[in-house]
Amino acid sequence: MPQTDRIAQGLKGGWKVTDGATLTENQTHEADVVVIGTGAGGGTTAEILAKSGLSVILVEEGRLYYQKDFKMDELTAYATLYQEGMSRVTKDGAIAVLQGRCVGGSTTVNWTSSFRTPEATLNYWVDNFGLKDLTPEAMAPWFDGREERHSIALWDMPPNLNNDVLRQGCEKLGFNWQVIPRNVKGCWNLGYCGVGCPTNAKQGALLTTIPGALDNNARLFHGLRAEKLIMNQGRIDHLQATAMNADGVTPSAITVTLKARHFVVAASAIGSPGLLLRSNIPDPHNRIGKRSFLHPVNATVAQMPERVDPFYGAPQSIYSDEFNFKNGVGGPAGYKLEVPPLHPALSAGVIPNHGQAQLNNMAALPYTQSVIALIRDGFHQDSPGGTVSLRDDGSPVLDYPLTDYLWQGLREAFYSMAEIQFAAGAERVRLMHLDSDWYTSWQDAKNAIASIAMKPHRVRLFTAHQMGGCGMGSNPENSVVNSFGEHHQISNLSVHDASIFPTSIGANPQLSVYAFAARNSVRLAQRLV
Amino acid sequence: MADSSGVQPPHSELIQPDRRSFLKAGMGGAILLGTVSITAGLAGCATAPAGRLSAVGTRMDARYQFRFLSRDDIQIVEALLPAILSPALPEQPQAKRLAIAATIERIDAGIYNFGAPNQKELRQLFDLLNFGVTRVTIARVWSSWPNVTTAEADAFLERWRSSSIGLLNNGYVALTKISNVAFYGYKSNWHLSGYPGPPKYAVETLPQFNNA
Repeated sequence: MPQTDRIAQGLKGGWKVTDGATLTENQTHEADVVVIGTGAGGGTTAEILAKSGLSVILVEEGRLYYQKDFKMDELTAYATLYQEGMSRVTKDGAIAVLQGRCVGGSTTVNWTSSFRTPEATLNYWVDNFGLKDLTPEAMAPWFDGREERHSIALWDMPPNLNNDVLRQGCEKLGFNWQVIPRNVKGCWNLGYCGVGCPTNAKQGALLTTIPGALDNNARLFHGLRAEKLIMNQGRIDHLQATAMNADGVTPSAITVTLKARHFVVAASAIGSPGLLLRSNIPDPHNRIGKRSFLHPVNATVAQMPERVDPFYGAPQSIYSDEFNFKNGVGGPAGYKLEVPPLHPALSAGVIPNHGQAQLNNMAALPYTQSVIALIRDGFHQDSPGGTVSLRDDGSPVLDYPLTDYLWQGLREAFYSMAEIQFAAGAERVRLMHLDSDWYTSWQDAKNAIASIAMKPHRVRLFTAHQMGGCGMGSNPENSVVNSFGEHHQISNLSVHDASIFPTSIGANPQLSVYAFAARNSVRLAQRLV
Repeated sequence: MADSSGVQPPHSELIQPDRRSFLKAGMGGAILLGTVSITAGLAGCATAPAGRLSAVGTRMDARYQFRFLSRDDIQIVEALLPAILSPALPEQPQAKRLAIAATIERIDAGIYNFGAPNQKELRQLFDLLNFGVTRVTIARVWSSWPNVTTAEADAFLERWRSSSIGLLNNGYVALTKISNVAFYGYKSNWHLSGYPGPPKYAVETLPQFNNA
């Protein structure tokens, strides 16, 4: 079977790729466009701009890892591929934040689910944020194009049992369920998407748009931290960046100055507002970092009578939107139901126990199934999102207060998940909650959920989807960029990542980011060429 | 670290009955932790990374260089791990000591990758546990860490787990999470989760595993 690695070949073939850790002196470089971030947004942008003949410099704080590094080992992957070594949390520590930090960004470590932005979400933006040009009809060609670019198609192998339990439970209860579209080509169905695809099947930024940009003369600096955009006469003059040491954690003494005609920020919904705040970008209405959304996630686990082996097989292949838009787009908090893969380190970190109880939990892992609910936040006045601000050291942190509206949705989600697991034959079900026992019947679970304390820290919460913070809108008083990601005040600044979404997506956001970045980059290329 | 015998039982109003309300007050937690870090340093607690420790007496691999945990932090983790991991650890004393030592090294390596901001948060947590006054009043652990029994460590963990104060729940989750991940996530312990590891055929076929 062919084992040609696109990245290894490109590096041999003369791609302009520089590891910040190898730099020994301060330097300045110049290009038409500097793109900050190499994830779904930055990769797409760099490829489209480079193909249109513009010179592009890509900047990535994380390091370049590719097939040779992807050995299906959790501890190595969490330490190297994730933000803050997988320890990122919201300001009060109540929500664990899973987010990539490497070339390819979160697309290098995501579970490959690739949904179009739901029509209800686009229509909500049209109606509430003056984004008249973002109708489902207008966006459809951009989704088509990105589905082709990233080989996105419905998963055609049978789901693993972990996912099939969700299907079976929904089927029994008459709930809607669907197969998940995935961005893979020749997938081996191994189950290690979250630690860097070992077979090069995943068609994330790392193996599509980043190579596409580098083939077209773009230059990539990795291990280089974007510190500040420096303004001169109302425009951004240059980016000031700091090289990182080879450990990927500590900065070196080397600074790199990057000059360009235009700057595209695509450093994630936490990183992009952070960079704009550090840079003191004009923000007359105090909008940068506001309305940050997370799809807050809660979870239940079930013990099944047969082996589930939740660590093997495509991690996500079945979902249910039964409860996502059920009560209207702006009604009580809706949620999408999916399944997480369960490997030992992730499970041990997520299940809150110690001693004998934890050993019992872990020993049962092969028989363990889990369902997660992704709360659709940002569509209601009682779900205004969180706020990104800067710590004393200039690093960004997200404060995300949980409102009663969200707690209500999370409690409803506990009901749905437990009911589905029992309907699919679970012997017992437990909530990821400090006060939860194992419940041996749906009735017991239902009684417990009715009164369990919905409080930060006691409910274990997660997010793998960070959105907003540089929201788009037609009115500069309540947004940072326009519908093309162009900054309202600074003419040579665009934002091309999930931070432009004015609400959460209501689905895994990868394809939404690809599509908006493609649309906005084609427009930007027309402006600059 | 000042010996616990030198620490008087709590008497100030800051740390006795008002302790809970003080911690509950929104930003009180963060301010308290920051204050403790400074105080712990002044009181002589080791807050600097331990670097390389002698294998003699510490059971540590002398080649491993600690980059976050201080000598005092290591004593805390040594006291807590038997309670966090208890029945999963080997029974044979020497094997148990080695398993604990190796887990502590992986905890340190993991924390190093957390980066400066989260290291600072953990520094404050360890300082709170190191500093005699806060160890006694907030963790309610009366002995110095090397003298804490597994039962006492377990009782401490249960108190923080069941506390109505979110900050202490958070401390429980932080301590157990870094320990559970470093232990159960490590190859030698995968069997405890019934996890056979990456599929053999993939390991045999994929080029990145070919060390020839």
